[in-house]
Amino acid sequence: MSEEKELYLGYTTDKAITPFFQDFLEALEQEKLMKSKCTKCGTEYLPPREYCQKDLSKCELEEHTEKEAKLYSYVIVDFAPETLSSKAPYVVAIGEFPSGLRLTAHITNLMSMPEVGMNLKLAFDKIDAKKITYKWLV
Amino acid sequence: MARKVAVVAGGHSKFGKRYDATMRELSAEAYKPIYDEGITQDKIDATVLSYAASQFTGQGAGSALIADYIGLYDKPHLRVESACTTGTASLRAAWGMVAAGLYDVMLVLGVEQMNRVSSATATEYMSQAGDMRWEYPYGISFPAFYALMASRYMHEYDMPHDVLAKIAVKSHHYGAQNPKAHLPREVSFEEANNAIPICRPLNLYDCSLITDGAAAVVIAAEDRVNEFTDRPMWIKGIGAGASSMKIQDRESLTSIPGAKHAAKAAYEMAGVGPDDIDMAQVHDCFTIAELIAYEDLGFAEPGKGREIVENKENYHTGRIPVNCDGGLKSKGHPLGATGVSMTYEIMKQMRGEAENQSRQIEDVKLGLAHNVGQSGQFVNVFIFERGW
Repeated sequence: MSEEKELYLGYTTDKAITPFFQDFLEALEQEKLMKSKCTKCGTEYLPPREYCQKDLSKCELEEHTEKEAKLYSYVIVDFAPETLSSKAPYVVAIGEFPSGLRLTAHITNLMSMPEVGMNLKLAFDKIDAKKITYKWLV
Repeated sequence: MARKVAVVAGGHSKFGKRYDATMRELSAEAYKPIYDEGITQDKIDATVLSYAASQFTGQGAGSALIADYIGLYDKPHLRVESACTTGTASLRAAWGMVAAGLYDVMLVLGVEQMNRVSSATATEYMSQAGDMRWEYPYGISFPAFYALMASRYMHEYDMPHDVLAKIAVKSHHYGAQNPKAHLPREVSFEEANNAIPICRPLNLYDCSLITDGAAAVVIAAEDRVNEFTDRPMWIKGIGAGASSMKIQDRESLTSIPGAKHAAKAAYEMAGVGPDDIDMAQVHDCFTIAELIAYEDLGFAEPGKGREIVENKENYHTGRIPVNCDGGLKSKGHPLGATGVSMTYEIMKQMRGEAENQSRQIEDVKLGLAHNVGQSGQFVNVFIFERGW
């Protein structure tokens, strides 16, 4: 882990940072989406987990290289939680990669209504100096 | 061998925006009818006094506050929390203690005071029941989780929103006849189908209410039941289930795995099946949740729940009457009170005591309560049997 920077995932400022999560965020800042893989059983997790859900062994981060996905489901949030109310409406989408791994993020460039099954492309965004995220583009 | 346990009495506050009350007074309103029936504090061995979220009030150790306020300060008590299943989780905990012989008579009281904060703040608090690292930073509110299910369901089964609007119309039809309901008024199909969006594809009338309220029941061991009532409602089956924390990790979004598991376990324990159930109280936090519940509980095959709606089989004279008290949609959803309110309603229906005969279900022998927490992480299913 490099020297710790102040980075947050997404549109809020959750301070529950761990060294493992900090490494994830620093990779994300370099536009790399990291998944994790169990060092014992090989199970992959996206988003990553530090401990395997099956055998509680340590997982290691590795880059998730798939960039294209299909829209598995979506919601257009019109009435948002207080923290994101200035951003509404926004679209939250679950995208499914060909490997079957899924990722939940905003779609930020829709010009028409989303449709389940449509193509999504993984992208990255610096929301401000400290907030970074992965996102979907259509 | 576990002892048999019955619900012997119940009470219910008025649900609504209760600016005239806090969790103290709401709890007193729920216990008062029970007290008036003669189940005074000295007859109660211990209590489970629960609410789902302390953020709404800022009150810590709330079970102590409630116990003290309703005169049970010197009886053992505890709080159980599992989001919107807090009420039935409390009943499950109390059932276990009575069945095991630890206590003979217990009060189970669920309460929530939600309207002292704005709707946006309440929505914020409830969104914090999503994964704080991976979901909350993306503004996935409580309705958003169910909208994700709705989008997928509507896609897989090619279902229009109309079906969901018809569920809302039914809920309000019965809520309008329930004097305890938060929003007791009829809505037309057009209103329900064209309301302002909240989390598309879900609109205002697809969503349950942010409600203040309380409900309470007393349970007793089989050898003590006769002291309290000649109309006991036996707890015949209990099933519980769980689902993954992150919604993206569910294999399917057209069903709640924990609910299917809970239903199966409850049916097995009770020795009955879905066709034997005379009425159900299901967790319609959103209209899509009610539709999915029909299928998870076995009242309809997967993808066929809409037939129950289209044929009005869910009305009080239908094949499987569902939420003929208005449900979470019209009666309201004070989180911690909801599961206890479901239990109370089934007892009233069995006793033929619905306030209004136009919502009274005839001859209820078996009633089912289906209570879901968050987006399915917690589920309890109870089957109750008329004991007279």
